[in-house]
Amino acid sequence: MNGTVLTRGYVVIWGWLLVLMTLSLFANTLPVSRPAIVTLMFVVAAVKAVLVALHFMHLRVERWLIYAIAIVPVLLVFGLMLALFPDFVFAR
Amino acid sequence: MSATTHAHATGAAERGKVAIWWFLASEIMLFGGLISSFVISRLGGGAQVDHGHLNVTVAAVNTFILLSSSYTMVEAFGCAERGDRRAMRLFLGLTVLGGLAFLGLKAYEYTGEILHGFTPWAGTFWSFYYTMTGLHALHVLIGVIANATLCVAARLGLERPYRVEVAGLYWHFVDIVWIFLFPLVYLS
Repeated sequence: MNGTVLTRGYVVIWGWLLVLMTLSLFANTLPVSRPAIVTLMFVVAAVKAVLVALHFMHLRVERWLIYAIAIVPVLLVFGLMLALFPDFVFAR
Repeated sequence: MSATTHAHATGAAERGKVAIWWFLASEIMLFGGLISSFVISRLGGGAQVDHGHLNVTVAAVNTFILLSSSYTMVEAFGCAERGDRRAMRLFLGLTVLGGLAFLGLKAYEYTGEILHGFTPWAGTFWSFYYTMTGLHALHVLIGVIANATLCVAARLGLERPYRVEVAGLYWHFVDIVWIFLFPLVYLS
């Protein structure tokens, strides 16, 4: 590419992201139960998100303040969702 | 670069990074609230996915495009840090092209769905679908404009590496949102 140097670490992460995307696409063909497939899909999505956050967003080398800013809203969202479960999901 | 100018640039970079993370925190709450509502609605039996009328192939291509554009964006930042302006412009341009391709395919997808009668008011699922993917597409559009602006600024010699980093953090966040929307809406 006209002397442009590609960063090997980023290329490897990109490759893994594509592999995981392919795994999600074909998860529906696996001979396991539906809940297991859905769980697998979201585990794969979480792994992809962590890869992007740690390597592309450089959270791997960030200080605690940035971690705190990023993690607190994620915990709040999970808290909100779990708090609503008794009224909307378990009440069925 | 003099010591004073360097210190000023470093301070601006730090402030910019903390500011974009605060903004992203509010975005996590926005998309998180929306996605949580959809998950709860689905688990509660309210919004069942209309799998037969979604274009999974187009969505998969869009996923590939966004993941790849995230890669080109981080390479653009790497080039900016190394002072390789030409390569930075190339990678920023590729990121912009990726964003435009995503929006074009999304528009194609929406057109097909609307022509078949699946409008935002066609049911609970479609309301969630258009709200979540539409809000995400709006974020992609904003990212495209920001990256295109940086590309033009680089051409004029006005770029600063930390601006590419800040725009990149936003772009990667938009990618992460899609990473969850794709299985949630199209696959599960």
